[in-house]
Amino acid sequence: MSGDESQGVGFESLLEAWMKMAGQFWKTMPDMRADTYGMPEQTSEEGQNKFQESLDSMLKLWNTMSLLAAEPRAADALFKGASVVPELMMKVIGSGWEGYFTMLQQTMQRMGKIGQQTEAYSFNNLDENIFKVWSDIYEKELRPLFNVPQLGLTRFYQERIGEAVDKFNLFQSTFAQFLRILSLPVEKSSKVLQQQIEEMAQAGALPESSQDYYRMWIKILEGHYMTLFKSPEYAESLRETLNRFDDYLIARQQILSDMLQSLPVPTEKDMDELYREIYQLKKKVKELERKSNGT
Amino acid sequence: MDQPKIPVDMILRHLAEDAEKAKGRVQKASDILLGQLDTAIATTPYDTVYQEDRVKLKHYRLPEERGGKAIRTPLLVVYALINRETMLDLQPERSVVNSFIKSGVDVYMIDWGYPGRKDKFLTIDDHVNGYMDSIVDFIRDRTGHDRINLMGICMGGSFCVMYSALHPEKVKNLVTTVCPTNFDTDQGLLHVWMKHLDADRMIEAFGNMPGDLMNFGFLLLNPARLMIDKYVGFLENMDNKVFVENFIRMEKWIFDSPDVPGETFRQFIKDCYQKNLLINSEMELGGRRVILKNITMPLLNIYGQYDHLVPPGAAEILTSKVGSRDTEDVCLDTGHIGIYVSSKTQKEFVPKIVSWFKARDGEKRAQAGRPPANRRSAPLKKKTRQSVAAKAAQR
Repeated sequence: MSGDESQGVGFESLLEAWMKMAGQFWKTMPDMRADTYGMPEQTSEEGQNKFQESLDSMLKLWNTMSLLAAEPRAADALFKGASVVPELMMKVIGSGWEGYFTMLQQTMQRMGKIGQQTEAYSFNNLDENIFKVWSDIYEKELRPLFNVPQLGLTRFYQERIGEAVDKFNLFQSTFAQFLRILSLPVEKSSKVLQQQIEEMAQAGALPESSQDYYRMWIKILEGHYMTLFKSPEYAESLRETLNRFDDYLIARQQILSDMLQSLPVPTEKDMDELYREIYQLKKKVKELERKSNGT
Repeated sequence: MDQPKIPVDMILRHLAEDAEKAKGRVQKASDILLGQLDTAIATTPYDTVYQEDRVKLKHYRLPEERGGKAIRTPLLVVYALINRETMLDLQPERSVVNSFIKSGVDVYMIDWGYPGRKDKFLTIDDHVNGYMDSIVDFIRDRTGHDRINLMGICMGGSFCVMYSALHPEKVKNLVTTVCPTNFDTDQGLLHVWMKHLDADRMIEAFGNMPGDLMNFGFLLLNPARLMIDKYVGFLENMDNKVFVENFIRMEKWIFDSPDVPGETFRQFIKDCYQKNLLINSEMELGGRRVILKNITMPLLNIYGQYDHLVPPGAAEILTSKVGSRDTEDVCLDTGHIGIYVSSKTQKEFVPKIVSWFKARDGEKRAQAGRPPANRRSAPLKKKTRQSVAAKAAQR
């Protein structure tokens, strides 16, 4: 017998013994309960308490389960099931770590670019890789979890909750990317201002007032924003952010409507249908008024 | 190589002086901000003479010292659905409305109110052929005039163009100011961004287009100036009571943004910004085609050279598309709202409109779209580029 096997056998026999002890414990519990509190044991003819009845049946059930668990075959099945869990956990953690290290690598590369010369008013090298990496990870690893088919009576509500969480995550990532793009001109203008100050210092023509520095900076910043706003990347990011926001709001509204259905409060959909009917009625009345007035 | 000489001592001395000045400014500013401030807007007296749903009609009272109207034909001013018409009456000495009534113009103005959820189904047709038409008919009945003068601002101008094309028999003279009619231009950022907007999805999510979201979008058009520099300017001048009061008035107006009814927003984005139907006479309201050639009344088209919301390319083509022979373009050296709030521009803007109306106020004047049978005259198309500075230099 190998060391591992002897360890496994030893553990199994220990478990078996423990399960048997547990079974004996639960078996003696009902008797101990009556003796501990000094209460006479009631028979069924005397109108046995319902609570005591259910407690007794529960204790008997525990007893049975413990004895069953002590069986070698049952313990074996339990171990096999338990061994699957670490494997699954390792897979999830592995993907997460991989993604994390990829993002870290990207961040380090970006940090290495700091201090290099920057071309003023140029946004050709927008660094979106970090957000793309996160989007890829989310699409491949996490998003399918929210789209798992739901079961049971409340499956529709569960699906909507999953959808809302999914849309929220998508909105968050595109919004973060949008904010990142919006912050780029601030970074660039600071670098350009530094370069300009250096050049002015070389020429011996530095401004003396802090106001002048501020005006220089704000003018550079304005120029950078104008360039950015005309870029297709910005338009695309803006469009995508708004679309994701809209999708999230629609999904969230679905959940709120589901919640409101259980309350005596009309939902937004109910009110919209009412408003539409009122609107159409008013139009018809106006039309009829016009016809009757002969105009 | 010589080391660059950075005057650190001078910079520090200036910083110390600036800090001293700032301290004095803050002390004075706290007295001003905690004291009585006159920041009321829209103070010119008016009466609400008509109301339909959320829409009201204001009629401004002529000042008693005026002694009557200088222009017989009443003027209806139609503001945009974005922001509020109070911009035309921000403060007494810079109020377009006040200037009009002092010049003897009988002014009516539409107050579009604050759309709620129940207004989300209202279309452009409901606004133009519904509310506007009812209001025009009301004014015609009230004043006894068959036709009225119409003046539109921004999107309100677009509505006036549509209305004049569909009801030319009710409009005597048309003035459009900073009015977008041609959307096929990349001069303005809004025109670039709106082409990518999914209006259907937005309306499904929001119902009505939220005013706060639009405000945020407008701020993003120039965040450096509108979100940073503007408030730096306030901090630099907050010891000036008049400046503070005017600043707060502007802040009150600029962030007072009603929502835009969903269907109106949807149609304006899709038919105007994305398909550019209006200038091509392909837009339809309530099944009726808006044909710009039907605009046969005199047209005065004013726009701003530095308007970032309605750039010249979006406004200047209108006069070449209408059927009227009496048209004039005026390009002012100012931005979108500078036309109305700048004291310098107001000295040109309102007198120009008033004199233009006066010249066309006669009842027996031949219709501008059709020359008299015995005489064919050349079309009265004029384009002026007015520089405020040049005008000032001439005086």
